[in-house]
Amino acid sequence: MATLTAGRKPVLRRELEALVGADGVLSEPDELLVYESDGLTLFRALADFIVFPTSVEQVSAVVRLANREAIPFVARGAGTGLAGGCLPAEGGLVISLMRMNRVLEVDYDNQIAVVEPGLVNLHLSQAVGPRGFYYAPDPSSQQACTIGGNIATNSGGPHTLKYGVTVNHVLGLEVVLPDGEIVWLGGRTRDALGYDLAGVFVGSEGTFGIATKIVVRILRKPQAVKTVLAVFDRIEQASAAVSAIIARGLVPAAVEMIDQLTIQAVEDAFGCGYPRDAAAALLIELDGLAVAMETQAERIVAACRDAGAREVRTAASEAERQLLWKGRKSAFGAYGRVSPAYMVMDGVIPRTKLPYVLGRVNEIVAAHGLRVGNVFHAGDGNLHPNILYDPRKPGEEARVVDAGAQIMKVCAEVGGSISGEHGIGLEKADFMPFIFTAADLALMQRLKDAFNPRGLCNPGKVFPTRKSCVETGPVAYRPHAIETQGLAQRF
Amino acid sequence: MPLLDKLRAIVGPAHVLAGIELSPYVIEGRTPEAAVRPGNVDEVAAVIAQAAEAGVPVVPWGGGSAVGVGVPPARAGLVLLLTRLSALVEHEPGDLTATAQAGVTVAALQAALRARGQWLSLDPPDAARATLGGVLAANASGPRRHLYGTARDLLIGVTVVTADGAVVHGGGKVVKNVAGYDLPKLFIGSYGTLGVIVEATVKLRPVPDEERLVAVRFERLEDAGAAVRALLASDLIPNAVDLIDAPSGAALGLPPAPATLAVGFDGLGEQVDWQVAALASVVAPCGGAKPAPLPPALWERLAAAARDAFDAPAAMMTLSVLPGVVADTMEQGAEAARQRGLASAWCAHAGVGHVTATLRAEGERQDAAPIAAVLEDWRAAAHAGGGHASVTWAPLPVKSALPVWDDAGAAGRLMQRIKAQLDPNNVLNPGRFVGGI
Repeated sequence: MATLTAGRKPVLRRELEALVGADGVLSEPDELLVYESDGLTLFRALADFIVFPTSVEQVSAVVRLANREAIPFVARGAGTGLAGGCLPAEGGLVISLMRMNRVLEVDYDNQIAVVEPGLVNLHLSQAVGPRGFYYAPDPSSQQACTIGGNIATNSGGPHTLKYGVTVNHVLGLEVVLPDGEIVWLGGRTRDALGYDLAGVFVGSEGTFGIATKIVVRILRKPQAVKTVLAVFDRIEQASAAVSAIIARGLVPAAVEMIDQLTIQAVEDAFGCGYPRDAAAALLIELDGLAVAMETQAERIVAACRDAGAREVRTAASEAERQLLWKGRKSAFGAYGRVSPAYMVMDGVIPRTKLPYVLGRVNEIVAAHGLRVGNVFHAGDGNLHPNILYDPRKPGEEARVVDAGAQIMKVCAEVGGSISGEHGIGLEKADFMPFIFTAADLALMQRLKDAFNPRGLCNPGKVFPTRKSCVETGPVAYRPHAIETQGLAQRF
Repeated sequence: MPLLDKLRAIVGPAHVLAGIELSPYVIEGRTPEAAVRPGNVDEVAAVIAQAAEAGVPVVPWGGGSAVGVGVPPARAGLVLLLTRLSALVEHEPGDLTATAQAGVTVAALQAALRARGQWLSLDPPDAARATLGGVLAANASGPRRHLYGTARDLLIGVTVVTADGAVVHGGGKVVKNVAGYDLPKLFIGSYGTLGVIVEATVKLRPVPDEERLVAVRFERLEDAGAAVRALLASDLIPNAVDLIDAPSGAALGLPPAPATLAVGFDGLGEQVDWQVAALASVVAPCGGAKPAPLPPALWERLAAAARDAFDAPAAMMTLSVLPGVVADTMEQGAEAARQRGLASAWCAHAGVGHVTATLRAEGERQDAAPIAAVLEDWRAAAHAGGGHASVTWAPLPVKSALPVWDDAGAAGRLMQRIKAQLDPNNVLNPGRFVGGI
């Protein structure tokens, strides 16, 4: 990979402007700073240019230019990622897709939509909502994150328990490959011809190319929704309730767990009606047919009571339901009430290991002299321990990072994974050997080489390597620009 | 040492088949050089490493139910039988996941899971014979895919042996996992060309309280197509929406009708009851008769209804089109065959646009040209419907008269690059897949 000389930059700037327009290129240091990190501000790196194409042809032309110059490039959506996955290499191009944000087509008969990558996730559901449809994957950042970014990380969300993650909703992609060629992977029909390249592309964290059009499934809104809050005096009871619900043959749309520290922070901040003295609460949502919804809710209530719930409450109105969900969705923002900073972890474990792993998480965090709040997708075993700390205290951030690594090791040891929805990016590249052998990684590398043989497309991500030029040591926390604007929180 | 002796040393002489023992493993008229039955993953790896060293192609073989799919091989090479790898390795009901070896039949796997109240929501044809690994490699599916999706929605982890004899894992054992590239997706539907699947971890579902299959008869195929669109736009949540034409319906023993919609529902008893009743009012405006119950035994025959329609099929094709044009595609396809004097049978998982069609062989002497011409017409119809079509079975003369696989275009070149990276010496099932892979 080449590094641009000071003399080369103005020449390249003019060329990029010729491709995407004068208002489509940023290169001033203060402008570049905005793009130096994503939602994980631990890692930062500056690009030479931020480029804003508006069409697939422009994306392709920019990528071809990067190839000619042998400089690295990375696609970027809203920058809400939490693993450093869209950071530039030191230098090179950031290709922002934020100006390609249209819903190009909605085919209600066939229940598909064709969208551009910069479309905000929630905007798709808003666009098709009036006709009774929605887009199922609902990452907690859905009011800011883009569908293109969701493609990169294969995003999840609370309702993926029943409806699956991003890849289960993507049928086809128009992609600019790392050499600039434009190809379609998959299409509009359900079954791909040949290898499932769209399926392989989703979750490749921007290392296989840049998606420029995305064909997604849209779903009919369910006839009925019911939301239940179950309150527990011991966290093990809440964990047991999750298994009990599954064991009774129920598949709720969502099963979210919120622990005491988080409940108290949420109540301080928003007053959503969670009991402050509870050790844990489960927020359980059922959806589907109106008929028999009561019967299913009764089964859920019975399962929770048998597991020792002291109170099980069903939202009596849509307003009450929204309030319960507000408590869950605002949890991350509420941590600001109890701590100057926190770092969110993302790990997955088999559901039956919840009690053990939650205990281990608490032990690890306590041993590091820190506190942890848990709010997570209990139904599919996707943990989000949030370690609270004070970045002004020397050494505390380093302890957070160390505790996080130990928690990931525990997830791996019980047969789980080191990421359920945030991705590997830079943050967890060195954790990959926790769950993958050298042979596993070698095969992934060969797959990458088929897509990205020169390695110019989002270098330094996913694979364990210490050659990255990025600042990797722990640095003081500071809010990202989109956080201070209130556009996103750290989920 | 010759290859056969090396193989005998790896798996034991009783598990290396040669000579007359190879007759069940003839592929498109070509007899393999040997067939080998490894007993564990290490033996699979050793066998592949030896075959690769000897330059002998390896054809992975589960139940053999999809061996007629694809381009006829130039050389049958070594058939790698996975039937001895048939263990259910792990089933933790509380996790709703199971790990099994590739050679377990779908029927045996489902029986073991059902005994504990769960099932793998994948219902391909020939469950008694088809193996888990084979179903994944062929991306086989059945009627319930309407609600529960296909292998790509259910497979969460996979162990494969690659062309160099390495044992490689992708994905994991948890239901949500984005660590590393999604290797399970890569191997689904890859027909053994990138690696041999030896173990798989899948998501499970609880067995529903109740399940019911009903038939709605229509006087015209296009009315049934309209009913499918109305059903998809309704509040109902069927688990299967299969459209069956007259010849396929006859093969299933259905009362004669130009078109029959087989609709499945599962869930709590009251949910099923309500939906069956509601279905009547959804289909009636489109000319559908009152839904009539079908015997549960029909479920497993739905996916292969078109295949089983004729005693002597001349060719089979699978078309992937938009759900909204399924009935039109079936109608036009049958007409195209009629115009060339051939009978055809059609069935479809209509809600997801998966269509299967069979041509009937006429008389003893068969001319490949009209058969190939009809298949080309069908492929054109699939393209017009926004999709693609591939021949899934045909005699050799037909297969040499038209491309077996549809054209994957620019993506096909990317597929070739992946094949070149993962199997540079063309050891695994070479020459049989899309784009000459």
